[in-house]
Amino acid sequence: MNVAQAFDRLGGLRGRPRQLAALGSSVAAVVVLSLAVAALKPVAPLISLGSLYLFGVLAIAIAFGLAWSIAVSVASMLAFNWFFVPPVHTFTISDSRNWFALGSYLLTAVVVSALATRARGRAAEAEQRAHETAVLADLATALLRGTDIEHELETVARRSADVLGATTARIELGPPHPAGPGQAPLPLTVGQRQVGTIYVDDQAAPGLSAQRRFLPALASLLAVAVDRDELARQAVQAETLRRSDTAKTAVLRAVSHDFRTPLTAIGTAAQGLADRSLELTDDDREALLDTIRVETERLNRLVANLLDLSRLQAGAAAPVRELWTADGLVTQALAAMGERASRVRADMPADLPPVSVDPAHAQRVLVNLLENALRHSPPGEPVVVRGTRTRRETIIRVVDRGPGIPADRLEEIFEPFSGDSGSGAGLGLAIARGFAEANGGRVWAESQPGQGASFAFALPVQESPA
Amino acid sequence: MSASSRILVVDDEPQILRALTTTLRGAGYDVQQAATGHDALAAVAVHPPDAVVLDLILPDLSGIEVCREIRRASDVPVIVLSAVGEERTKVDALDAGADDYVTKPFGVEELEARLRAVLRRVPQAPEPVVTLDDVTVDLDAQLVTRDGEPVSLTRTEFLLLRFMVENRGKLLTHRMILQKVWGPSYQVESHYLHVYMSRLRQKLEADPAHPRHLLTEPGAGYRLI
Repeated sequence: MNVAQAFDRLGGLRGRPRQLAALGSSVAAVVVLSLAVAALKPVAPLISLGSLYLFGVLAIAIAFGLAWSIAVSVASMLAFNWFFVPPVHTFTISDSRNWFALGSYLLTAVVVSALATRARGRAAEAEQRAHETAVLADLATALLRGTDIEHELETVARRSADVLGATTARIELGPPHPAGPGQAPLPLTVGQRQVGTIYVDDQAAPGLSAQRRFLPALASLLAVAVDRDELARQAVQAETLRRSDTAKTAVLRAVSHDFRTPLTAIGTAAQGLADRSLELTDDDREALLDTIRVETERLNRLVANLLDLSRLQAGAAAPVRELWTADGLVTQALAAMGERASRVRADMPADLPPVSVDPAHAQRVLVNLLENALRHSPPGEPVVVRGTRTRRETIIRVVDRGPGIPADRLEEIFEPFSGDSGSGAGLGLAIARGFAEANGGRVWAESQPGQGASFAFALPVQESPA
Repeated sequence: MSASSRILVVDDEPQILRALTTTLRGAGYDVQQAATGHDALAAVAVHPPDAVVLDLILPDLSGIEVCREIRRASDVPVIVLSAVGEERTKVDALDAGADDYVTKPFGVEELEARLRAVLRRVPQAPEPVVTLDDVTVDLDAQLVTRDGEPVSLTRTEFLLLRFMVENRGKLLTHRMILQKVWGPSYQVESHYLHVYMSRLRQKLEADPAHPRHLLTEPGAGYRLI
């Protein structure tokens, strides 16, 4: 450790330890230098040896500042007078030249102290500035990197604590809150705008320069980062709005088309029945009535699907969960389908673990998967429902013997309005997946081309005491 | 069933009210109309009908409130009309005392079938011996046989079957069955019920996946027919 480091270490102390160190060093300096004067007295003119004390004054000035160095100046002058200036062991001075020597020594000591202290202060300030600049540069990089500003605040606060001479610091954005116990709030303001507040422990002693330079710079950085985050958020919102507008237009177009077809059929059939000028056989009438019934049913499915989709997209399909068996869910879905379920074969092991699910939602999932499978199966071919389990999930698979699905369309078919709009605007699979996910489950498709498709509905296993 | 049974139809949609009235009159019923919940309650009090057909969405009271109010004073059968997306309301109405439901849009035949069923069901002591195809249930002897062979049922399975038999034809919500068979504290543990129902079907139904007697009423409960 060299002398400068020793000074730094001593000067770096704070509070009471610093006072004690200053006192000890001062006394030691006077004692050591007095011994040196005593030792050199035989070989040099006494009065010139007084200037030896200046080394001590200089050192104390650098390490502990002006007050201590002036004290050392006075103490060393008195010690020199007492021990060495004749008559010794008195503060009396017989020779008027010695008066002059001691006086000029004291003056020199004070001037040296002042100069040394000032140099010391400049060096410390330059060092502090360099530290602040380095920290600000780091923080600027961190804050403007493009990640979320909230994530960086902790790092920023830690580095700032360092600069502000605090052991802990916390930054809060926005208007100030009342500070907690043991915390001192330092506002971070840019002009009239308070960007946030940095709370430091109240033992901290932030220097005036730190407050005047560092805090405003930090505030400006934070302001820029906050504004950038806000702009990014607005951009995302604008983009989302634009996209949802595009999506809405697509939905409306598809829906209008899907509504118009059955409405046209119903209107035409009703007019035909009402028109007395037409010569209709009973079979004709029956056919027209059947058209009305079938198309009404189609409209009804379409409305139900749109309602489901809108509830899912609005996040309004909050599940009311109950514990159900997979077998119970399948039986319920088959019952809901009535006659249409006659082609469905169920192969459900009785020991599948129960699942926690909204039964109405699970019914929508299964009915939609089953209707999809029935629609794509050749007539007469059964659709099979099979239950399996993994360690974490109970899986219900709906397997058809239709044409299968190309690998590149396995995901696409779950998009609303994709593919066949024969009934319900191709919404069934999108709705199935939506309800499954609302219940913490999954729906996906598996297919070997030419060998049919399998749609899996997986729900997390609910450990239950039953 | 009497063809001159009087039906109170409650719906605030004039077109639906008109269509229902026309078809039910055509089927030989005497039809009375109400467009609000308060009108319906007044009609039930002044001139009690033989059955009520009640839409769940009314301008003043909810269908559930109307059910509850009707049940305070009367045992008249109530059939609620519910739309897709109103499952919860439908079950609440059933728990509040409604006897059955049809889902909109419904076929007129379906509504008539439900009406005939509730009108036929005059409160009476349950028959002690009931036959379901090849299965015979003797409640007094606590004996269930299939093709003459005794079927072994656990106590809970038998309690469940007995409750279903005693209410044959009636729609029983999950809550009703859980409260009756498992006790009042078992209201959300519906998977017990599904497990036992599945076991009963395994033991009593020819094709458990497509039951003919122990029917699932989707989103509502179970019904024995």
